[in-house]
Amino acid sequence: MSHSFATKPVQSNMTTVKKVQNQSGDSMTSNSTRRRRWAMPVAAVAAFTALSSCAKDAPQDTWQPAGENARKINDLQIWPFGIAGIVLLIVTAVVGYSVFKFRDRGQAIPKQSHGKPALEIALTILPALILIGIGIPTVSTLFELAKTSDTECVVNVTGQQWWWEYDYPAQAGCGGIEKPIVTSGQLVIPAGQRVLLRIASRDVIHSYWIPKLNGKRDAVPGRVQTLRMQADQPGIYSGQCTEFCGLSHAYMRMEAVALDTAGFKTWVTNQLKPYTAPTAGTKSSEGEALFITNCTRCHQVNGILGSDGKEVIARPDKYVYAGVAPNLTALMTRTTFAGAAFDLQTAACKTKLWDTPSDQFTAAYLEGVTPQCLDTVQLREWLRNPTAKKPMYADPTKLATTGGKYRGMPNLGLTEDQIDKLVAYLTERK
Amino acid sequence: MAISEPNPVPALAGSGSAYVTPSTSFGVFKRPVQSTGWRSWVFTVDHKKLGIMYGVVAMIFFIIGGVEALLIRLQLAAPNNKVLSAGAYNQMFTMHATTMVFLFVMPMAAAFANYLVPLQIGARDVAFPRLNAFGFWCFLFGGIFLNTSWFLGGAADSGWFAYAPNTALAFSPSHGVDFWALGLQITGIASLTGAINLIVTVLNMRAPGMSLMKMPIFTWMILVVQFLLLFAIPVITVALFLLSFQRNFGAAFFSVEKGADPLLWQHLFWIFGHPEVYILVLPSFGIVSEVLPVFSKKPLFGYKFVVFSGAAIGFLGWGVWAHHMFASGLGPVSVAVFSVATMAIALPTGVKIVNWTMTLWGGKLRFTTAMLFAVGLIIEFTIGGLSGVTHAVAPSDTQQTDTYYIVAHFHYVLFGGAVFGLFAGFYYWWPKMFAKMLNERLGKWNFWLMVVGMNLTFGPMHILGLQGQPRRMQVWTDFRAGEGFFNLAFWNRVASVGSFVLAIGVLMFLINVVYTTRTAGVAPADPWDARSLEWMTSSPPAEHNFDAIPTVHELDEFFHRKYEENEATGEIHQVSTYEEIMADEATRADKHIHLPSPSYWPIILALGLPLIAYGLIFARLLAVFGAVVVLLAMFGWSMEPSVADESDYDPPVDGGPTKELATLG
Repeated sequence: MSHSFATKPVQSNMTTVKKVQNQSGDSMTSNSTRRRRWAMPVAAVAAFTALSSCAKDAPQDTWQPAGENARKINDLQIWPFGIAGIVLLIVTAVVGYSVFKFRDRGQAIPKQSHGKPALEIALTILPALILIGIGIPTVSTLFELAKTSDTECVVNVTGQQWWWEYDYPAQAGCGGIEKPIVTSGQLVIPAGQRVLLRIASRDVIHSYWIPKLNGKRDAVPGRVQTLRMQADQPGIYSGQCTEFCGLSHAYMRMEAVALDTAGFKTWVTNQLKPYTAPTAGTKSSEGEALFITNCTRCHQVNGILGSDGKEVIARPDKYVYAGVAPNLTALMTRTTFAGAAFDLQTAACKTKLWDTPSDQFTAAYLEGVTPQCLDTVQLREWLRNPTAKKPMYADPTKLATTGGKYRGMPNLGLTEDQIDKLVAYLTERK
Repeated sequence: MAISEPNPVPALAGSGSAYVTPSTSFGVFKRPVQSTGWRSWVFTVDHKKLGIMYGVVAMIFFIIGGVEALLIRLQLAAPNNKVLSAGAYNQMFTMHATTMVFLFVMPMAAAFANYLVPLQIGARDVAFPRLNAFGFWCFLFGGIFLNTSWFLGGAADSGWFAYAPNTALAFSPSHGVDFWALGLQITGIASLTGAINLIVTVLNMRAPGMSLMKMPIFTWMILVVQFLLLFAIPVITVALFLLSFQRNFGAAFFSVEKGADPLLWQHLFWIFGHPEVYILVLPSFGIVSEVLPVFSKKPLFGYKFVVFSGAAIGFLGWGVWAHHMFASGLGPVSVAVFSVATMAIALPTGVKIVNWTMTLWGGKLRFTTAMLFAVGLIIEFTIGGLSGVTHAVAPSDTQQTDTYYIVAHFHYVLFGGAVFGLFAGFYYWWPKMFAKMLNERLGKWNFWLMVVGMNLTFGPMHILGLQGQPRRMQVWTDFRAGEGFFNLAFWNRVASVGSFVLAIGVLMFLINVVYTTRTAGVAPADPWDARSLEWMTSSPPAEHNFDAIPTVHELDEFFHRKYEENEATGEIHQVSTYEEIMADEATRADKHIHLPSPSYWPIILALGLPLIAYGLIFARLLAVFGAVVVLLAMFGWSMEPSVADESDYDPPVDGGPTKELATLG
């Protein structure tokens, strides 16, 4: 029979099959339909399982921990999820049974019983015991997660509308950081080491969340709160601000990057490299001049020298409500900008980096944005009109309530030529 | 106070003529005593009319909130979508939540409470009828005021939780937050006055023989809710005042730069906000606890357990607020305490689910639409309750909070719980209120579309949240959507499609209402073979509810008058019909019934409040004018007797009904 189904068109074959079935009696027909009725869902489930097992889950999947803190949470949460599932099945089964069993078929009016206290008490004590069973590991886990004494180094993480700043104080931990580093967009940490994030905010409440590494912690202005971070393997882990923080909340993203120990050391060195001015007479050199006139009011590039030969120090506190703007010294060592919302590399390179196996990841990341991967489309759009790309409060006529200070980057009215030059300058910042 | 007076009011001994009240307002205006026409609604103090008005207005706000939800789902149907701008999106989810919580579920519960509580306890009205009217108008004007913000510079854009300091002028420069804060103050007055009114009514005005433990379960749940409101509303009132003063008068309650701690707002908001959850859901628990027994032909299983678990939820509900703040950095000790307390509240909630299920067990079940919604509630609410337990586990909550998993959770609780209960109530009490049966065939379409729609909409949100999609994001990106079975793109689309199925389900209800109003004949007076007192009178009830106040002997009094148990065989058999019981009651009809008379003052007083609020936002002079209106109305009200003088009534036309309103017999 299966043969005749497999054979292609053959009207005659089909008829033969029907005839054969008819001759061989009803039992066979019903058997085969029954089998096919089951085969479809089974095949569908199998296909689903196969599909979901080889497909990539969302990068913020809370069930795929990649570090010890997230793993502790995951080990704990499996139980309540499992128990909840069982309870739901039981309730559904009992309700479903009652619905079919006791529907009105003309039976007598049931006895007007007002309940069975023993059953009620039993069904109160049983869940109470289950909840105690969940409660004890809950409390112990949350104390473990709150521990900060065994962390090896510190990163200050500060939120503001709508990006995160990471500053690394000079410290001996995590391989040693000699001078403070200020960066944004991507949190870089050494894999396998316990890093303490000290989380704060400069304006409204934000929340720091890298699901594969740990649960979230709010960044509350006026407070410094701690969160442990540890990634087992080098790799890149995505996150998102999870406390509603105003207009561009959806564009306040983050990425945590874990590098192997040697790689982290290299990254630190790269961040602290002295400033290299562009060669005179190049587009990039003109871009530097433009950068000084247009951008250094808010954006710092460490070591950049003004025409007077002195280092130019940005004063974002004069222009921006939160008082800071991203430090662009090593822009091209990270692959995203403007709150990790936009890419500096092509989509193909981005996907490739995210899919790089952990043993090759450190080297791949440390290359930064390579010339082959560089994609300045989003950067140009941004420079052309930032608020069109990411909603912000930067219309100078509508800033009465902030005393004229911007929340976000204003439109600088740059010409295409100026944008070209600025891009040339910025893409050399590595 | 609407009470039956078997004897005329005794003259005040000795005081003689000193006891004088003007029968006309300010000695000029006649009382608006009309019993027909628009005046009979606008100036009414009848709890039934007010209940219906609460219901109609709440339904309109439900549609507005629903349209807002559909716009949100349209925006999220595709990555980087451009249906709504970031600003519009933020206003949309703020107003969706605000509308559904404060302008739909709470007032819809108030609609049922207003209409039914006096009937269920055998009273002729609530304790303070004019206050009741005032509450309704506050709700209506507050709701309209809130929604006018859309046209006056933009609605609130800081979320219904309005976390400081994001509500500060610097961060939310439009007037939206001012509208929000002042609008909720006005609707808060409605809740607070309503709470006091119903508490006094339930505690003082029950029919003879109705001890608290013989009180219908719906009334019990409403009583618990009123106590929750009584203590919760003042907290949000204080918080909103602090916020308004911060924004309008330069106060610094939440200004970090001046040394304030913004977590103060979160504590205030959630000390109100968590009891609020029970304020939203307990009325529906009460409704299904009425509906399930009627259509199972059995008493509610473990009535006392349901009562006490409701009260226990009412108490424990005050001790769990900080579970909304597990990620805010309270420290592990506080988090542990609130985590365990939150688990504890699962117990009384579980008791209810057990009792409803056991009510079905061994019953004689009739699957009317009301029953379907009630049974649907058991399952949908159980899903919401169980996902609640998973984030009572504080460490896993730090992964789940502010993601779509939470959105899934509370929509199962509030849609699967509160809204399903309200719909069960619509179908169950519609013949009581309008003497027409809602169409059952349309009703089943209504139910099944809503069940499918809600599970398609909110079910996928569990996946979205656990896959890491945060809430309140105007856009999501394909890059972070993943692939395969759990990919966010697919499930976002499913949720968006589901929301439209859900909307069609709700539309079915509206079609049913129109269809029924146009075509249905008069419904039987006791169509469901009901159990409680509200069915032991005509449908819709006369303005005075009962010709004779019934004397109560049993829980489920009406059922026990209709049926008796044969002690030998244990069989239940009918001993009398609705008509016989009513004929019996008619023989004891009260001769003098004084009902409170309609009044201008509640609506005028309520009208002054949005004037003050608009004034505070746009022109202080208007606020002064509003305050004058409020003061004059208060004065007029306080000088007005509860029952109008005979001279206020036009002479009866051919013995017409005008006068009989106030006095029967």
